[in-house]
Amino acid sequence: MKQQLEQIKSAALSAIAAAENSADCENVRVKYLGKKGELTAILKMMGGLSPEERPIMGQLVNTAKAEVDAALGEKIAEMKAKATELKLKEETIDITMPAKVSKTGKLHPLNTVLNDMIDIFQSMGFDVVDGPEVETDHYNFECLNVPADHPARDMQDTFYLAENILLRTQTSAAQIRTMETRKPPIRVICPGRVFRADEVDATHSPVFHQIEGLVVDKGITMCDLKGVLEQFAHEIYGKDTKVKFRPSFFPFTEPSVEVDVSCSECGGKGCRVCKGAGWIEILGAGMVHPNVLRSCGIDPEEYSGFAFGIGLDRLTTTRYKISDIRLLFENDKRFLDQF
Amino acid sequence: MKISFNHLKNYVDINVPVNELCDRMVMAGFEVESIGAEGENIKNVVAARIVKLEPHGDSDHLQICQMDIGAENLVQIVTGAQNIKEGDLVPAALDNSDLPNGMHIKAGKLRGVESNGMLCSGEELCLTEEDYEGASVHGILILKDEWATGTDMRKVLGLDDYIIDFKITANRPDCNCFLGVAKEASVVLGTAYHPPVPTYKTVGGDIKDFIDVEVKNYDLCPRYIGRVVKNLRIKPSPAWMQKAISASGMRPINNIVDITNFVMLETGQPMHAFNYNDLADKKIIVRNARDGEKITTLDGKDYNLTPDMLVIADGEKPSCIAGIMGGKESEIEDDTKDLFLESAKFRRDSVRKTGRALGIRTEASGRFEKGVDIVNVGFAMDRALQLIDELDAGDIIDGALDRNQGLPEDKILNVTSKSIVDLLGVDIPESKMLEILNSLCLPTTANDGVLTVRVPSIRDDIEGRADLAEEVMRIYGYDHIVGSAMRGDVVRGTKLPSRIKSDKLKSLLCGMGCYEIATYSFIASGAVDTLKLAADDARRNAIKLINPLGDEYSTLRTQLVSSMLTVMATNINRKIDSGRFFEESKRFVAKSLPLNEQPDELPTLCIGLYGKDEDFFTLKGIVEEVMTLCGAHTQYKRSSEPYLHPGRQAEVLANNVSAAVLGEVHPEVAASYGIDTRVYVAEIKLDVLYAINKRKTTYKPLPKFPAVERDFAMLCDADIPVGDLEKAIISGGGRVLEKVELFDVYQGSQIPEGKKSVAYSVWLRSAEGTLTDAQIEEISAKIIAKLEKLGAELRK
Repeated sequence: MKQQLEQIKSAALSAIAAAENSADCENVRVKYLGKKGELTAILKMMGGLSPEERPIMGQLVNTAKAEVDAALGEKIAEMKAKATELKLKEETIDITMPAKVSKTGKLHPLNTVLNDMIDIFQSMGFDVVDGPEVETDHYNFECLNVPADHPARDMQDTFYLAENILLRTQTSAAQIRTMETRKPPIRVICPGRVFRADEVDATHSPVFHQIEGLVVDKGITMCDLKGVLEQFAHEIYGKDTKVKFRPSFFPFTEPSVEVDVSCSECGGKGCRVCKGAGWIEILGAGMVHPNVLRSCGIDPEEYSGFAFGIGLDRLTTTRYKISDIRLLFENDKRFLDQF
Repeated sequence: MKISFNHLKNYVDINVPVNELCDRMVMAGFEVESIGAEGENIKNVVAARIVKLEPHGDSDHLQICQMDIGAENLVQIVTGAQNIKEGDLVPAALDNSDLPNGMHIKAGKLRGVESNGMLCSGEELCLTEEDYEGASVHGILILKDEWATGTDMRKVLGLDDYIIDFKITANRPDCNCFLGVAKEASVVLGTAYHPPVPTYKTVGGDIKDFIDVEVKNYDLCPRYIGRVVKNLRIKPSPAWMQKAISASGMRPINNIVDITNFVMLETGQPMHAFNYNDLADKKIIVRNARDGEKITTLDGKDYNLTPDMLVIADGEKPSCIAGIMGGKESEIEDDTKDLFLESAKFRRDSVRKTGRALGIRTEASGRFEKGVDIVNVGFAMDRALQLIDELDAGDIIDGALDRNQGLPEDKILNVTSKSIVDLLGVDIPESKMLEILNSLCLPTTANDGVLTVRVPSIRDDIEGRADLAEEVMRIYGYDHIVGSAMRGDVVRGTKLPSRIKSDKLKSLLCGMGCYEIATYSFIASGAVDTLKLAADDARRNAIKLINPLGDEYSTLRTQLVSSMLTVMATNINRKIDSGRFFEESKRFVAKSLPLNEQPDELPTLCIGLYGKDEDFFTLKGIVEEVMTLCGAHTQYKRSSEPYLHPGRQAEVLANNVSAAVLGEVHPEVAASYGIDTRVYVAEIKLDVLYAINKRKTTYKPLPKFPAVERDFAMLCDADIPVGDLEKAIISGGGRVLEKVELFDVYQGSQIPEGKKSVAYSVWLRSAEGTLTDAQIEEISAKIIAKLEKLGAELRK
């Protein structure tokens, strides 16, 4: 009987080994482990054994059953794994096929750059304010210390809508409105659209954009101006960027400076981008002219301040190396998609 | 302002090379536009000696020269010239050289013989006999002076000058001249400045016997000086003067005209020379032109004058447009005998307005527009007379007619040195300030921390502390300014609520595949016609530019649709098969026309779409999301925009206020933009949306009980909008109605004519418990009742 058990067991194990699919496995289970299976049958035969032999044999049969059951389980698991592997293999896809996306659009490059600026200045505590695009002579010129006979007043440069109403030529007009409505300390930037009667070409547009910055407080110095502009330049052009002041003239600031940054392309050695100069002019700035402070009801003996104006379009075209400013206003989708 | 570097050295000691001077001038506030080297079009041409000369075996006129060019080896050059001999020193253009006539010389072979350059004639170097003796000889230029072989020809010809073009800022008209620049250069370099000191001889007489000068309008002409010079000896001016004038871009004419131009370039004060004998009644009257008066100017053009223009008239008629251009009649010519010379100050806006009105701009008018100094008017006259005397150009009559209403006193400013330091943030010693201000010809003394500065009228740009701080700083050096960190309370910058909302809207639109565009704020006046807007449409009341760049840009836009259509047309014409665009900008609405106050600038959003996957409903979907983001509850109404398809457009109400129009563009309107495909636009009034107070979001518990889905299929009249059916379902469903979804609309076979089949899925859910069959039946019955009221017939 013991021998018979061994035979059944080895037959079962080889049947399991030979099994090719789940049906074979099921057959093996039924044939050996089922209610009418051979190993079950052998248990039933134990009635003919002596009481001493019975537990020993019982144990042997149970061990054999467990062994077969385990082998069968292993086989089934192995076959499942194989089947899964096969299925997954069959499901292999060409991952270079095009993605299925709902395409997102893009912000206009001018606004992408503007948003960077706003982030920088906002983090330095500047409020972002707005001003009207249609301005009065008073705000656009008079309060900015541009007297009536100043060449900048000329019809050549300014679009007029009525005798004293015009399209603002500079966001500086917003300085005045800010100083009229807020009391120092003032720390604002005013981004916006400005207009000048320039014929359209690769570097001129009658519509362009500026970001005006204004700080007014007690004890503001030109060193503070440089500090803020250095922060800005480091964020935009990189940590090692140097800032240089060159004396210049604007009616609404005194002293006035043009601000150059070391060329980020060549690091100041001179290259095609900076036309060999090593420096790139990026903005105009200065200490708010006492007449301007006065015209806004701020006492220049008590307060001082600085202002700067950044040309957004120029900053955008240099950042992306856009050769023609007209591209910004043409709005070809293939252009807009690049930024 | 173009200045010859060599000429500048007459007024200031320059101890640095031209590039360094320019760099330092830039840092003192004088931008340099360009530095042009004289002879820069002559490259690699040297003085060379003919060591050996032999005939060319294969030509009867060519000669082979062995040239000493100052290098170790001789260079072989073949020439066709015959006027040379061994030992001659001549200009040799070496391999890879440029000549001023535009020729580029390279090594090559002439009839089989190697030639490493070319010997040059005077003509090839663009020289005349005046430039170099022998330059006009046919053949090679034989150099007269002894020069080491290999010397650059530019040096041989004395072409060692540079022309510096300074950009003078509007606050420094006093530097639009040689002396102004020289004075600044002397301060920058710390060297001596020596301006001319005018002295001259007169021949007696009394000007009063020759002429009378009367200024009728001192407002426009605060100072006028006249002098008379007799017995003119007109001839060319000397070479040095011609060179200085030419370097500054003016043309030498004759000694008298050249002196007036030279004095203008030197002192900044324009002068005018009249032919004395052509002045009627021997009178000069500075007055406004009379109605109907005309003048023929020096350049032969005729101009009609108006009474707002200032003229210099003789006893009869205008003889010169004040500060702008002289008249042809009183022009200085080769045979002019006697001269009336003018030096004057005219008001700058008057000169500008007149010049603009007549379309004339001259060297003189440019200077008057920027402003000339009233005191300098006299200095310039004296300097001109000095030159007339020195050049023996005529006999100066005694006496000047100097008409003015008093010359200004110097301004005295008292400013503490501390206040200058406080503004700059740089600790500049008071002694340094004194030194700088005095060197700038601003006589300054210091007493107990207060600087007392005497400001002459020529520096009327200096008004107070800030100006003095700038004067000190630009000389002390801006490199001394060291950036300091922001001080004061730590605050976070804020944005206006409208900008925050706009930023969110833009992210949303980008997320939905829309590209932001930027277009001009002004559009063609005819755009409203192209959009077929009705004659009484308010959007026709657009603000016009008085001086537009052309009709295309002539009115401020009252809508954004036409710009959007232009952009879509551009993209469609470039074969870009689809596109979603948006623009956020302003529409300008005048409060009244003609404009007498600032208009309303209303924030507006325009969305445009085209492409095979786009239709009215994709646009509606985008608009819907925009409305939701702004917290608007929307309703749609049929609308009647003339530029939209009459059957495919809608007005959108946001919380019952008209907020947007959307639809398919009318094919005829599209066609007039050159668009031959279906395009869709929406224009949204952001002012309306921004005004909505969005409700604060509060959490609603997630549903605990299951939802029941019921479908309602019905037949109804084809012209009932599904929106009405949906409203009926919502009102019938009441509180437990969770969601309604249209899933089918069908017209066609098996549906009676004039009817349509519509099917909805409806989800019902109660927050209190699972809905019972009875409850569901009751709600369904209510929904059906509402639908039947609209004439819908439920299909079982």
